[in-house]
Amino acid sequence: MDQQRKHRILMVSDFFYPNFGGVESHIYYLSQCLLKLGHKVVVMTHAYGNRSGVRYVTNGLKVYYVPWRPFLMQNTLPTFYGTLPITRTILVRERISIVHGHQAFSTLCHEALMHARTMGYKIIFTDHSLYGFADVGSIHMNKVLQFTLADISQAICVSHTSKENTVLRSGITPERVFVIPNAVDTAMFSPAPNRLSCDEIVIIVVSRLVYRKGADLLVEVIPEVCQLFPNVRFVVGGDGPKRVRLEEMREKYSLQDRVEMLGAVPHSQVRSVLISGHIFLNSSLTEAFCIAILEAASCGLLTVSTRVGGVPEVLPDDMIVLAEPDPGDMVHAIGKAIHMLPNINPHVMHSQMKKLYSWHDVAKRTEIVYDCALQSSDESLLQRLPRYLKCGAWAGKLFGLVMIVNFLLWWLLELWQPAESIEEVPDLVLVQNEHEERMQDFVEAQD
Amino acid sequence: MSRGLAFNSKYSYTHLNGKGPSEAIDVHDITVKKSRLRIFSSYSGAAVFLTATLYLVVLKELCISSIWSILVCFSLAKVVHHKPVKKESVVIMPAFGVQLETHYWSGRVICRFIPISKILKPVLNECVTPVTCRWSLALILRDEDELTLIFQKLQPPVRMLVPVWKELCAATDCKGNQHHLNLCARNSAKK
Repeated sequence: MDQQRKHRILMVSDFFYPNFGGVESHIYYLSQCLLKLGHKVVVMTHAYGNRSGVRYVTNGLKVYYVPWRPFLMQNTLPTFYGTLPITRTILVRERISIVHGHQAFSTLCHEALMHARTMGYKIIFTDHSLYGFADVGSIHMNKVLQFTLADISQAICVSHTSKENTVLRSGITPERVFVIPNAVDTAMFSPAPNRLSCDEIVIIVVSRLVYRKGADLLVEVIPEVCQLFPNVRFVVGGDGPKRVRLEEMREKYSLQDRVEMLGAVPHSQVRSVLISGHIFLNSSLTEAFCIAILEAASCGLLTVSTRVGGVPEVLPDDMIVLAEPDPGDMVHAIGKAIHMLPNINPHVMHSQMKKLYSWHDVAKRTEIVYDCALQSSDESLLQRLPRYLKCGAWAGKLFGLVMIVNFLLWWLLELWQPAESIEEVPDLVLVQNEHEERMQDFVEAQD
Repeated sequence: MSRGLAFNSKYSYTHLNGKGPSEAIDVHDITVKKSRLRIFSSYSGAAVFLTATLYLVVLKELCISSIWSILVCFSLAKVVHHKPVKKESVVIMPAFGVQLETHYWSGRVICRFIPISKILKPVLNECVTPVTCRWSLALILRDEDELTLIFQKLQPPVRMLVPVWKELCAATDCKGNQHHLNLCARNSAKK
């Protein structure tokens, strides 16, 4: 069997550690699994407070925290061309072959992909969320996405629903979009060793308490369930603007002993919260793919969720009960789940999840996408410009102009600081017996 | 006396390894090449800036566009400004200390001596700025929060920094190991 080509990948996003979230953990786990497969991965993100410069996380994953100040919801200030010099420097010194951007909401991702494309690199984009079409913010973002995806090599979406959404928003051809679902770290999310007794049923809710995650639905559902099923208790973890409404609901129906509010739960403690319950309730109003229900299923909890977005694609029917995002239907679904509980075996569920979802599988599938991207031919600026002009009557011309200016700026930068003068970084080989060996590797690579 | 050499378009590196009475001492120099073009552009940049400012001040036309043009001329002048540094040296005296010297074209020399006991480790750092990423050589010193840069004014390429780093590691390691052994001996004696 001939050796698979090893890639050198740059992951770009505004969202990475020390932030915790779906996109962040996706980038982290995917990078770790790609490193295990033998590829070289470098991550580029913006600086978080004092955390600025080059950092190495687990297994020698190199992260560039570029000191650009975030301005809105963790996003870097969009300056169009401001990030060109640093992006070019990173791409040349790390000898990158593919640039992989994450999340449509990240300005750094869009800018880096634009610069990489100008310089002739192959680019991949992964979309993690569903977006609307109607409001001003969505219209603007969809146009930016259309610009980025006009000349992309391949795109990845996390579910079929997300693929449909991305294709409609950006006008990209569906053949170039791959569907690779997220996965869960089943080693970290394992069920409790002893099964909980079914005398008192505990329903867990762990999510940000915002409108998008259906906190208003919770306010309607919880009192009704508490009234219908006297042996049911709720544990609500998470914080947000809607927390006040939940506290008011507790006061109004005197549910202080039946509804426990934990506040913000750090990511490392999510598992201990999950294993204290029988049922996991997810009331999101929109989800491209819900990693939270994967985590719950991996811990052996039965899930009750709203039938929105990509949620029906995530779990098999015996592990999830779906309901419309309507309080009455959700109460009915919770009742059904309570009846199903005695037949649920958490350990069997966990082993099934281990077979269904693994980050190594995601990494192997992503590798296929990279191979596919690298096989496409190199094209000059003139061959690529017509794709931008097709984006719209006025927008097409504007996008074409933006790309031409970017190309000119890149050419000027090449004159000012030629690529040869940017020194390449030798690959750091992490050895157990540190210091001397590391010095030796570095010195040999430089000579 | 052995010499090592390396060249760049902007910097040249020399290494003097002493033999004889001063055989322990190592001197590493990074010299800036005298470039007529750079000096000329530096002075002309400064001249343009001063002329523009004087012109606008004399004509008393201080409006937004004139302030903008002053700012543009200033930033251009700063970019082409030629640093008055002639060379920077590192003198390594094993088991004694390290001396950092900055020589200017005017003849002025600024020295700083760091005793070997104060040095914890020499490190090669990647410095990320909003526009670029470059290598620098620095020392981690005892009781100091900030890193001490070895070449404070100049930014030589990494292949000139690596031999200096190797020598510094060798010089501090022997002392470092000995210090560690001394501590262990003292601790075991206390028990």
